[in-house]
Amino acid sequence: MPLDNVVFWVFAPISIASAIGMLVMRNAVHAALFLVVNLFCVAVMYLLLDAPFLFAVQIIVYAGAIMVLFLFVIMLLGVDRGDDLRERLLAQRPLAILLAIAFIAEIFVAVRAGIGFATKAPDGFDAVNEGGNARALAEVLFRDYFLPFEITSILLIIAAIAAMVLAQRRARVITQAELEQRRSPSTDRGSAVDDVDVAEVPR
Amino acid sequence: MRTPIAYFVFLSGILFALGTVGVLLRKNALLIFMSVELQLNAVNLSLVAFSRMHNELDGQILAFFSMVVAAAEVVVGLAIIVSIYRRRQSVNVDDVRELRW
Amino acid sequence: MVVAELAPLTDAHASTGQLSLLWLVPALPLLGAFVNLFAGRRLGRAAGWLATALVAGAFAIAAVCVLELVAVPAEERLYVQHLFDWITVGSFQVGADLRLDALSATMILVVTGVGSLIHLYSVGYMDGDARYGRYFAYLNLFVFFMLMLVLGANYLVLYLGWEGVGLCSYLLIGFWYEKTENANAAKKAFVTTRIGDTAMMIGLAFIVWRFGTLDFETVFGAAGATLTEAAATGIALLLFGGAIGKSAQIPLQVWLPDAMAGPTPVSALIHAATMVTAGVYLVVRSAPIFELSDVALPVVLVIGLVTMLVAGTAALGQTDIKRVLAYSTVSQLGYMFMAAGMKAYAAAMFMLVAHAFYKALMFLGSGSVIHGMHEEQDMRRMGGLRRKMPVTGWTFVVGAFALAGVPPLAGFFAKDQILEIANHTGRQAVWVLGALGALISALYIGRLVFLTFFGAPRSDEADHAHESSGLMTIPLLVLAVGAAAAGLLNLTPEGRIAHFLEPVVGEVPHGEGLAVWVLGTIGGTVAILGLVLAWLVYASGRVDWAAFGERLEPLPRTLLHGWYWDEAYSRLLVAPGKAAARITAFVVDARWVDGLVNGVGGGVDRLARAGRLLQTGFVRSYALAFLLGAVALLAWIGVRL
Repeated sequence: MPLDNVVFWVFAPISIASAIGMLVMRNAVHAALFLVVNLFCVAVMYLLLDAPFLFAVQIIVYAGAIMVLFLFVIMLLGVDRGDDLRERLLAQRPLAILLAIAFIAEIFVAVRAGIGFATKAPDGFDAVNEGGNARALAEVLFRDYFLPFEITSILLIIAAIAAMVLAQRRARVITQAELEQRRSPSTDRGSAVDDVDVAEVPR
Repeated sequence: MRTPIAYFVFLSGILFALGTVGVLLRKNALLIFMSVELQLNAVNLSLVAFSRMHNELDGQILAFFSMVVAAAEVVVGLAIIVSIYRRRQSVNVDDVRELRW
Repeated sequence: MVVAELAPLTDAHASTGQLSLLWLVPALPLLGAFVNLFAGRRLGRAAGWLATALVAGAFAIAAVCVLELVAVPAEERLYVQHLFDWITVGSFQVGADLRLDALSATMILVVTGVGSLIHLYSVGYMDGDARYGRYFAYLNLFVFFMLMLVLGANYLVLYLGWEGVGLCSYLLIGFWYEKTENANAAKKAFVTTRIGDTAMMIGLAFIVWRFGTLDFETVFGAAGATLTEAAATGIALLLFGGAIGKSAQIPLQVWLPDAMAGPTPVSALIHAATMVTAGVYLVVRSAPIFELSDVALPVVLVIGLVTMLVAGTAALGQTDIKRVLAYSTVSQLGYMFMAAGMKAYAAAMFMLVAHAFYKALMFLGSGSVIHGMHEEQDMRRMGGLRRKMPVTGWTFVVGAFALAGVPPLAGFFAKDQILEIANHTGRQAVWVLGALGALISALYIGRLVFLTFFGAPRSDEADHAHESSGLMTIPLLVLAVGAAAAGLLNLTPEGRIAHFLEPVVGEVPHGEGLAVWVLGTIGGTVAILGLVLAWLVYASGRVDWAAFGERLEPLPRTLLHGWYWDEAYSRLLVAPGKAAARITAFVVDARWVDGLVNGVGGGVDRLARAGRLLQTGFVRSYALAFLLGAVALLAWIGVRL
């Protein structure tokens, strides 16, 4: 039995299971950890698809940086207690699941009509990965996609600055309880946060 | 590699669908965000799969950029969530419903 | 018909070129109308003199033009003056053209002549009225339109005049509109004639359809070749429909008695001498078309006959002096249509001229009586006025005798010629009924004269009546001369007028029958008999006519109500019309249309109210909507692939 087949059929179910696990966990930290598992599995998929560089980047950036950031924020805000699973919105849950199933069915149909479930990957990818995947990627990146590369770097800088500005401490704090009070049925005006000044200079 | 490419694409579709369900059904803003990350991942997977199919590296480049931008997005998004939490002491998206009739 | 043989004169013809002044004839009254409309109040009494002078001037110029016309041989007596291009649409062209031939010459002389006399009378009659200037503006405007009607060289100019005189009639009948019944009478006149006008308009449309033009020369010349008998019948009957309306024949005669609500000079001018004769003019003018149909002229004859009898008997039962004259006018017009129906167009036109004189005379005389009686119009309260108002009285007698047909006054010749033609063309029934009608006319006009001017005064106003001013009596005298002497214009059916009109209307019908002098004697006897009878009953004092009338009930009341035509129309047409209007206004419009419109508004409102509920504010709901849309879109693409 070919090795890549085995690897695929082991890690694909794990990735799906971890995704489902992420969805159903009440505790946010647990959900984040399940997501990390999923990211690992996807990284393995990349490996199977002859993209070792992305395999590494996925683990380092996604699982390593982004998810850690998530966990930081979860624990910073202390919202790991998790929300109640009662669904207030009418028909939200059944509809969502139904539509998701419909979506999967459509993907199935599209894939079957498109590339067909039998098509194997063509040979010759080794020629593409001449000199190693990283080197080949670098050549394409810095030659054909140089402009997007530069723009993306600017984007990162902007994101960093934005995060710093956004996360500064503000003046007054209104609790959710107070908001609920204001939004009581007799004065249901809808805009209850008008006493918080957005343009206030932070301390 | 003997696994048909279509399996990877289909897997990516399933993951995407699961991410969508997460966006729709969870009330915690952070969990919604994580579901969005799951969706992005799924898409990245399909990009790489198609890149393999066409014997090109463009798909991988695109997946790479996607990751970078996702990182930036997570940074800004989490900053927003933090700032909202500071105002309302809650990250329940159902509580943010001022923009209605 | 010899119309096609006329060779038209050009503008350049006539050694003195005076025919080119033809356009001044309608233009002068039009000028008067404008001046009085805008400056009437400032002019004061001068407004009346100005209006009178302009119409008199129009008469003078008309006379000059007619003299020019008769200076050329009969076959050349046609002058067409092109004023300007009025309508040019593709191949359809209508010019503002004036046409002077024997027929229109007769008409313009009558209109301007009698018109100027009536203007003069009005200066006295309307003195002191609050809207003096406007009255004369309307009167001048009327003369303008009437002249356009008879001078038109094509049906559209004629129709312009036709509608214009209808408008002026409305304005003048309702001149004292402060009284509701005057305004109602004006409305009634306008609406009733409108029915006829619509028929006429359809007739004109047919003419355009068949001929491609409305010009008289072209249409009449090509009529024989272009029209089938059915088409000619249709067009003729439609045009006659217009004539029925304008000339107040059965079944549209109901407006004329009520039109007496207007000032008396208006009744004289419009409802005796000119406008109501427009119908006769139209039929005579359109004779080439009428003659192509087997049915049209007999219809004209029958309607004229019936109208003559119905209106004549109704006149016999009226108590208001003006209403007697109104019904009399309707009856006399019936006579004219009878003549036209027998192709005796010249006789009809002669009667038109004579009638213009004596009817205008009697109307003006009645106005004088009403003034002298301090606005009393009921004949039962008059009596013996000839002593208090001699000029009025005796000129009125002349007019009355002319109407009755006493020789040698004009009415005798006119009526007699019509009866003679009836007898000679084998229409004995028409002759007998015509003679009966003559008897009835003599009866009712005798009744009027003897009740009003003879006997003893029956009220204080009659006792203290006074003669009217010279401004009013002079026209009476002039018209009396005309009524008396007009007979000279046409002593026999082939007299001067018939000869004059022959190039336009053709020959007078001939035939064999009773000798002329026999017929004449019969006619004169009938007239005198009727007058004597009337004198016996109403003036001699030997008969208590009031008691006599009561014994005959319900006949007098039926005649007083004009055979209940108004009541019948009210029940059959007016009441359903009002009901329909009420339903349309309150059910269809207020409930359904408004309901629909408001309902649409309400529906939109309800829809919006429901739609607004979509905006729940829940981000997750919106996200679900996204997904729904995306799935649907993918499905659609998938199906199409």
